[in-house]
Parts: sequence; structure tokens; C-alpha cells
Amino acid sequence: MLVGLCPAAAVTGRVIDALWMSLGMAFVLILTSLSRVILHLLLDAPGSAGSGSRESGLLGSRWLGVLFLAACFTASFEVIMGAFAPQESAALGIYVPLLAVNCIVLERLADGSPRRAIQENGARIFRALGAAASRGAAFAVALVLISVVRETLGSGTITLFPLGAFGGTIVVSGISAAPARALLFAGGGFLCLGYLAGLVRLAGRLRNRRPRAAGEAGAQ
Amino acid sequence: MADSTPLTVSPAPHVGGLISSARLNWSLALSLLPASAWGVFLFGFPALQVLAVAAATALVADAAASLAWGRAVLRDGSAAVTGLLIGMLMPPAVPLYVPAAASAFGIIVVKQSFGGLGRNWMNPALGGVVFALFSWADAATRWLPARGTPAGTAAAPLAALRSALAGGAQPTGGVLSALGARGYPWSSLDGRVVSWVNVHVLSAVGLSLPGGVFDLLVGNIPGRIGDVSVPLLMLGAAFLLARRVIRWQVPVAYLASFLVAAQVFGGLPMGRGWFAGAALFQLFCGSVVLGAFFMATDPVTSPLTRGGRVAYGICLGLLTFLLRYFGTPGFGVPLAILLGNCISPLLDKIARPRAASPRKAVVQ
Amino acid sequence: MSFLGIILTFSLVDNVVLTRLLGICPCVGAPGGMRATASTAAATGLLMSVSALAAWALETYVLLPLGLDFLKTPAFVLAVACIAGLLDLAARRAVPQLLRAAGVPVAAVAFNCATLGVVLIAAKGGFTALQSLVVGLSAGAGFFIALTVLTAIREKLDVEQVPEWLRGLPLHLISAGLLAYAFLAFDRAFLSRIFQGW
Repeated sequence: MLVGLCPAAAVTGRVIDALWMSLGMAFVLILTSLSRVILHLLLDAPGSAGSGSRESGLLGSRWLGVLFLAACFTASFEVIMGAFAPQESAALGIYVPLLAVNCIVLERLADGSPRRAIQENGARIFRALGAAASRGAAFAVALVLISVVRETLGSGTITLFPLGAFGGTIVVSGISAAPARALLFAGGGFLCLGYLAGLVRLAGRLRNRRPRAAGEAGAQ
Repeated sequence: MADSTPLTVSPAPHVGGLISSARLNWSLALSLLPASAWGVFLFGFPALQVLAVAAATALVADAAASLAWGRAVLRDGSAAVTGLLIGMLMPPAVPLYVPAAASAFGIIVVKQSFGGLGRNWMNPALGGVVFALFSWADAATRWLPARGTPAGTAAAPLAALRSALAGGAQPTGGVLSALGARGYPWSSLDGRVVSWVNVHVLSAVGLSLPGGVFDLLVGNIPGRIGDVSVPLLMLGAAFLLARRVIRWQVPVAYLASFLVAAQVFGGLPMGRGWFAGAALFQLFCGSVVLGAFFMATDPVTSPLTRGGRVAYGICLGLLTFLLRYFGTPGFGVPLAILLGNCISPLLDKIARPRAASPRKAVVQ
Repeated sequence: MSFLGIILTFSLVDNVVLTRLLGICPCVGAPGGMRATASTAAATGLLMSVSALAAWALETYVLLPLGLDFLKTPAFVLAVACIAGLLDLAARRAVPQLLRAAGVPVAAVAFNCATLGVVLIAAKGGFTALQSLVVGLSAGAGFFIALTVLTAIREKLDVEQVPEWLRGLPLHLISAGLLAYAFLAFDRAFLSRIFQGW
């Protein structure tokens, strides 16, 4: 899952960039997921379990279609973002279009997880929506976390949306006098991503240990 | 999940069985002492502070990381050597958070994250130094003047040369004359010694030395704390070579290729033609000697095979030449060695392609 | 920009993997050896160069004249997918034993963030046709360098006793980060000094 973050981690130099990327990712993910489910319901024989388990290689027409859809949704997000926040759009550059590929990576990974078959069409749609929303949320959390660390330590500021009187930039006193600018380079992005991946694994391991301990305590 | 840690048969980047790790590190520390003492003598209390902070942070970070990750705290002095090297690579007047951050980054990220002693692929000292000096870019040029020169005029000779040449003027004589012509502040002692030698010794032969030769040879120039005095560094290196702590292939290959490249090609950017580079000047300025003998020879981060080591040395020499002439000033040697670290696993693979492929040796 | 400048910029200074953080997925995800790495990188490089040229053609002759520049993402995606498919077909016909050895459908792996990223960068940069091709080739070369170095490091790490929570993907990413710091040696100032000095 974290592998899908790599390109987006390039734009975690400022918190606001990460926020926009997460917004875009959620937008594309939800719409693509939704379209996939709807298309599956419309095109496939009723009663077939699972969606996307049939594919002829990565470039099977099914995934190609999904990729094209994702690209279209990404293009629409680009247009929307260009209209509402042109500077941010320019700052993010080529990484917004790459959301399409990110989305595909996440979708493919999600397809790997086992699910019980649901026959209700409406429930299928809701499940797809929920899954996409949760993936988008996880993406957002990870991205914002990395960007907070990088921006705080790397430039001593936290850049957010300007709201009314609030100019949009929080200056962290103390660090902003002499921030560690090397964190803003590409290497910093990789390092934060790597340690985040490690911490996620550590958290998972600690979580696995606790129920076992509780189980042992209960057995005695 | 059952304990599935594979039994690892490591290709042993550990130093050969004759020398224990502790002896290696204490020998290294001892060999670095003369040069660092000279740096403290030259630059005073700030230099001592930098060295102390770097070494202390390295020791604390190492102990903390070892404890946090359930490993025994090593008492073999490797962290102290890393800290000392980091301190020696710093300009003397840096704010103290710079060597501290360098040590912390080097030990925690570059060394301990990979499993501690012997398992990192990048030199921790250099990784930390590059990170810190790129983070706080103005700290990279906090020079202090040498002894006997007026205060407030400190500029490292290499940087001064670059700015002198950037002016576009064609240097008529050697690099030292070019620097002198731009008013580079050699010390008064240097002036006296050089003029004495010129008058009493060399006038008979018709030669004359430009001002600055004495300063350069002795190491009385602004620079990083540990790399100004080439004679003392060579002394330490000779000590290490005599005790067989380091092998000669890497430094010899490194220095030879660097000097040849500098001499042959070095004059070209300056418009002085082929074979007219000032190789000796390049040797005595900057961290080449420190890097070649003390950092490129790190057995953990350099190739294991003999052929690999020679290739590594040559690559380092050429990279240092390229980066010193065209790269960011002051980062030639550190970045060159870091790039060398990156390709050292690759060099090992090329030197011994199928024998003992590490992946096959892992017993599941 | 001169051709040498393009080559040096896109392979070293603006390295796809190490400066732009694209295309790390095949580096760290697929546990292949050096041979798989080499074939992946070669395929990706080829795909990048042809796609860059195709994207240039699309942008110059179709999208800009018709004012459809906002459709470039889907258009490029389609173009790259078609080229990847053709490449796959050609590879199956020409060198089937290579595919068997690598064990992965080469075209599938080649089509990743890096390829699309290079295509977008090339389309943005206002290059000529030949320059776009060289951009793609240089980016592919840079990709190959980064991939090879990272695989060698990864194989060295695989046999070391690293902290459990960092084993595998985290350490590969951290190694990529350290490699990226080392590649700071090659920056635009370096490039401009090389061209000035001669």
C-alpha cells in the first residue's frame, strides 16, 4: 500500500500540497471505484462473484479500461484544481496526473484482499464507496503525516489553506531560524516514507501481540 | 508468527579475523589524534567544542539506538571514531547543532537503522556530514583564519581559487601566485620562511617559491578542523598501514587516479592547457588525504575483493576530480566517497559474479 | 538545451527515481535478482523513449492545435498503454526466453509511474521530436542506474541482520533516500559548470 505513495511523497514538502494531493486521490479513487462497480454490474453476468478477479495480465482490457477512466477523472480534477488553486496546481506539476497510476496501484492491491460475496447491487456499491473512502483516508493520513514532519523540520513552517484573516502559514519558532533543509530534498521524502513504513509495521506487530497476551491471560 | 528469521551466512564485511573491532577503532582514533590536535591548536576553542559535541552526540545516539533496539551497547569505540571524523569534517566555526545533527543522523539513520556495526552500506560519518551541511548550507563555509593572518579574512584556498578564476583573468603563474595576486592572506611566518628559502637556497639554482608554500605544506590554512594538516594525516595513515589496520589498495588507487586526473585535466578549466593542473596544490587542500586514508578504507563500506577495491579507488579519484572542479564547492570528497559507497555493492557483484551469491546462502 | 545537456540532466541531475521519486515500485516491490532488474530497466527505458516521442507527436499535432491540452492525461495514458502492448507483443515474438528468465510480463512492469512521469515531463519541456526521444532514453538510463545500484544494495541487505521492523521495504526506501542524498552531487550548478569549463 505504501508503495503507491512514492510519487505523491515527492510533493510532501508543504502540508498544503499533501492536502491537495489527498483530495485529488480521494476524488479519483472514489469515482473510479464507483465506476468499476457500476460497469461490473451492468456488463457482467449476474451472480458472478467478485469484481476484477478475471483479468488477462495487467494490460488486460479490463484494467486498461479502469486506467483510462482513472485518467479521465484525474484530468477533471486537474481542471477543477487549476480553476480553484492555480498556484498549487502549478506547484504540484506532473504529480497530479500521476494520481491515475497511483489509483490503479491501490485498486489492484485492494483487489487482492478477500471479501465475501454480496449479491445486493446497492450494497455492492456502498461497499465499494466505503472501501475507496477508507483507502483515500489512509492515503491522506500518511501523506499529511510525512508532510508535517518534512515541512516542520525542513522549513520551520506549516502551510495550510488561507482562511479569512489567517494567512495560511504557521511559523514554528525555534526551528524556523535554522531549519534542516536537506529534508526537503528528494532523499528526505524517501527517508520519511521508509520510516513510516517501518512504524506501520511496528504498530501492526504491537497490535498483534496484545490480543495474544490477553488470550493467554484469559486462559490462565 | 513463528520465528522465521533466516539463518544468515553473511559474506562477512567484518574486518579479517586478525584484528578485533575494538583494536581497529582505537587504532583509528589514535591515528586521527595528531591531525585533530593540530586543528584545535590552529582554530582554538571553537574547534574543540565541535569535536567534543560531535563525538559525544555520536556516543549517546549509538547507545540510545542500541538500547532501544535491544542490542548490546558496543564498547568498541566505533561511535567515537565516527563522531571524531564528523567533527574533523566540520568547519571550525559552525553552530554546534550542526555537528550534533550530523552525528545523530549518521549514527541513527545511516548506521543503526541497518543493523549497527558492520551492516551499513554507507559511511555514517560522511552521510551525517553531507546531510548536515546541506541542511544548513551557510554553515559549510564558517571558516576561521589561520594563525598569523588577519582576522575576518578566512576563505578556504580551494574556494578562493575558484572565485579567483571565476573572475575570468588568466593566471600567469602557478595557482599560488594567482591566489597571492588576489591578495590571499598567507601568514607572516610563511612570508618569512619562503623569502628566506628563496634568498638563501633557491636563488643559487634560479628558482623561487611563491608565497604560501610553507603555509600549505604545514597546514596553516583555513579549512575543516581535521583536514588542514596533510603531514600529520599522513603520519596517522602510516601508523595504520604499518599495523595493517587499513589496506593500501584503496588509498593508493584513489590518490594516484586523483592526482593524475588533476594534473592532466586540471589546467583545462583554467585555460592553461593539458598537463598543467596543480596536482600538489589539490592534494594539500581539502579533504582528499583524510578521505583517501580514513574514510574510503572503511572495510564495511568498500568492496571486499581486491580487484573491486582498486576499481573503487580509481572511481573515487575520478569522481573527486570531477566534483571538486565542477561540483558544489567543499563537497567534492564527501560526495565522491558517498557515491563510491553506493556502487561498492555493485562493484563486488561485478568482481565476483556467481561465487557465493548471498541470496543462496540464506538458510530459511 | 544541447543533447549532452539533456542526457546529463535526465540521467543524473533530474534522475527519475532519485530526484523525482517516480518508479521506485519495481525497485522495491519485485524481489528480482540482477537479471530481472536489467530486463525491467531495459524495457522501461525503451518504453520511455518511444512514449516520449509519441507524446510529443500527440501534443504537437493533436492536443495543442485542437485546444484539448486538458485531455493530455487520458491521451498519454492510452498512448503509453498501446505502446506497452506493442512492446509486449514484440518481446514475446523476438526474445521469449528472456521473458521466461525474468519471470515477469515485461511490459506490465515497465508501465509504471516513471514512464508516465517521463512522458509528462517531456511533453512539458517544449522539446523537439529528436530531443524528446533523447529525453526518454536518458531518463531510461538514469532509471537503469538507480535500479541497478538499489538492487545491489538490496541483495547485500537481504543477508544482514537488520531490525525486524525495518526489514524489507522500509530499509529499501531508506537506502533509496541515502542514495538520493549522494546524488545531490549532480545538480544544475554542476551541469552548468561543466559546460562553462570547456
